[in-house]
Amino acid sequence: MLAVASVVGAIAGFAGTLLAGQAFVSALPAWSVVPIGGALAASLFVLPIASLLASDLKLAKRRIGLLSDERDDAVAACPRLVGPIIQGVEELARAWRDRHAEASARAKELEVRVKVAEAERRYAEAVLDTLKDAVIVADGFNELTMANRCATRLLGIDEGGFSHAKLQDLLVDERLSQEIDEALRSGRIARQRHFEHQLNGGAGEGGEAIYDVTISALPDVTTETPEREDGIGGVVAILRDVSREREISQMKTDFVSQASHELRTPLSSISAYIEMLIDSEAGDEESRQEFYQVIRAETDRVTRMIDNMLNISRIEAGIVQIERTEVDFVEAARGVLETMRPQAALKSIKLIEKSGPLVYTAQADRDMIQQVITNLVSNAVKYTPEGGRVTVTIENDDATRSVLVGVQDTGLGIPPEAIDRVFDKFYRIENYKRVAKGTGLGLNLVKHVVETVHRGGVGVESEVGMGSRFWFTIPYVHERV
Amino acid sequence: MSERNSTVLIVDDESHITHVVALKLQNAGFETVTAGDGEEGLELAVQHGPDLVITDLQMPYMSGIELAKAMYAREDLCDVPVLMLTARGYALEQGDLDDTHIESVLSKPFSPRQVLAVVEELLEKSARKATAQRSNEAA
Repeated sequence: MLAVASVVGAIAGFAGTLLAGQAFVSALPAWSVVPIGGALAASLFVLPIASLLASDLKLAKRRIGLLSDERDDAVAACPRLVGPIIQGVEELARAWRDRHAEASARAKELEVRVKVAEAERRYAEAVLDTLKDAVIVADGFNELTMANRCATRLLGIDEGGFSHAKLQDLLVDERLSQEIDEALRSGRIARQRHFEHQLNGGAGEGGEAIYDVTISALPDVTTETPEREDGIGGVVAILRDVSREREISQMKTDFVSQASHELRTPLSSISAYIEMLIDSEAGDEESRQEFYQVIRAETDRVTRMIDNMLNISRIEAGIVQIERTEVDFVEAARGVLETMRPQAALKSIKLIEKSGPLVYTAQADRDMIQQVITNLVSNAVKYTPEGGRVTVTIENDDATRSVLVGVQDTGLGIPPEAIDRVFDKFYRIENYKRVAKGTGLGLNLVKHVVETVHRGGVGVESEVGMGSRFWFTIPYVHERV
Repeated sequence: MSERNSTVLIVDDESHITHVVALKLQNAGFETVTAGDGEEGLELAVQHGPDLVITDLQMPYMSGIELAKAMYAREDLCDVPVLMLTARGYALEQGDLDDTHIESVLSKPFSPRQVLAVVEELLEKSARKATAQRSNEAA
C-alpha cells in the first residue's frame, strides 16, 4: 500500500511539474516514475529501458519502481496502470501548453504594439519638436497631453512633468488659456479660432513677440463612442512667431512713407517756384534766373533720390547688373577727387589722396566703386567746416586679402548715439540737417554696394568735433557664394 | 487793409521754402522774418512779436509743434496764430494741437497762393477777435 501511495504521489508530483509548465518547455528532463511489483518487477529487467538516466526508486531499501525521463519506459513497464493516467495528464498539459503559447504570443504581440505605439509617439514628438511653431494639445477634459519643445520653452511648461495636468494650471497666459477653454466648450469642430497675441519669450525685441495663434477643436478619433456628446476629443493650439514678418512689413511701410516724405520736400520747392513764375512773382530777370536754378537743383535732388532708392532696392532684390573688372583703386579715387574739387574749393577744403607705391587692385564693378568713393567724399566735404581737410587713403589689407579705402575728414563728427544708424536707410542726424542737404540714402547705398555686391566690409570711427573716418574693404578676388 | 503791414515769421529748415514763402508775402505787402529751425524761430518770435507764424513740422532742435507749444506758454505770444506746413502724409492728431494756437495746417507740396490766402484769412480773423475784445472792454 505504501508503495502504491508513493507512486501516486510521485506521479502527482510529475503532473504538478507538467502543470507548472516546465515539463516540455523546460530544458530539464521531465522525470517519470514507474512502479514495480511481482512479475512486473522481474520482467522489467528483460524490457529494454529507453532512458540512459533511468534508475531504481527505493523505499526502505526495497525497489518499488523505476525513475525515468522517458515516457515509454513507464508505459512499457506498467501499461495498464500508468498509461491512462499519463495520457490524461498529457492531454491536460497539451491543452494548457496551447493556451500558454497563445497567451504568450498575445503578450508578445501586445508588447510589440506598445513599443510601436511608443516609437510612433516619439517620432511624432520629434517631428513636432523640429517646428519653430509652438504646438500644444489638450484632451477633451482640458488636460495637457502634448507640448512640443518650442511650446514648453515659450510657455514655461516643465518638459517632463505636464502629463495630464489641467491646462489652466500650466498656462500663465490668461488669454490663451481662456481661448482654448472656449474652443473646447463651443463644441464646434469646424470652426478655428485665430488671433494675434503678444507673449514674452519670442524673437522680438525685449523678449516680447507677436504670435499668430490658431486653436482648433479635434474630433475624438480614438474611440467609436466618444466620451463627450459633441464628439470633441481635444484641442490643438499652434502659436507662430510673426514678429519678424511684422517687422519686415513695418520696414516696408516705413520705407514707402519715408520715401514719399523725403520726395515731398524737394517737390514742394519745385511746385512753389513754378507757381511763382506762373504768377509773375519774380520781379526781374535775375529773380527768374534764381527760380530756374532752384527748380533745377531740386529736380536733380529728386532724381538722385530716386536713383539711390532704385539702386538700393535692385541690390536688395538681387537684380542689379554687375560688371566686374580689375579696378585700380588709386585711379578710381583720383577720378572722384577731381570731380569733387570745385565743391570742396567753395569751402576751401583740401582734398588729399594717399597711397603707397604698390598696386591696389581688386575684382569689382568700377562704376559702383566710384559711386561709393563719391558718396563718402561728398559726405566728408558736406560736413566739414571751411578750411578743413579730406584725406582718401588706399592700402592693401593683407589680413582680409582686400583693398582698404579710408575717407578721413576734419568735420563735425558723429554723436555716439547716431553712429550705429548712419548706414540705415533715410537716417539723417537730425541736428545736421541744416548743415547740408541729403537724401539719407548715400551711406545705405555704400553699405549695399560694398557688403551685398562685393562681399566686403564697411565701417566708421568718429569723434564729435574731431572728424570721422569711413572705410571699406573690397576683396582682391571675388568669390562666388 | 491793416494786415498789409503785418509781420509774418516763417520757420523752415529748407531755405528754398522760407525764401519762396517770404517772397510771396512780401509781394503782397507783408513784413517777413525767416528762421531755419524751431529754436531760432522762438528767439525771433520773442524779438519781433509777429502777427502770425508759418512753421514746418519736422525741424532740427525744436519741431513746429514744440515751437507752437512754447509760444502758447508765453503770455506775449499765446494769441499769435500759427499756420503749420507739413510734408508728412497724415493729418495732425488732436493731441498735437492741444495747448497750441495752430489755426490751420497745409500739407506739402503747397501752393504759395494758398498760403497767402490762409494768412490773410487768419489775420482777418484775429483782427475781428481783437476788435470784439476791445468793444467788450469798452462796454
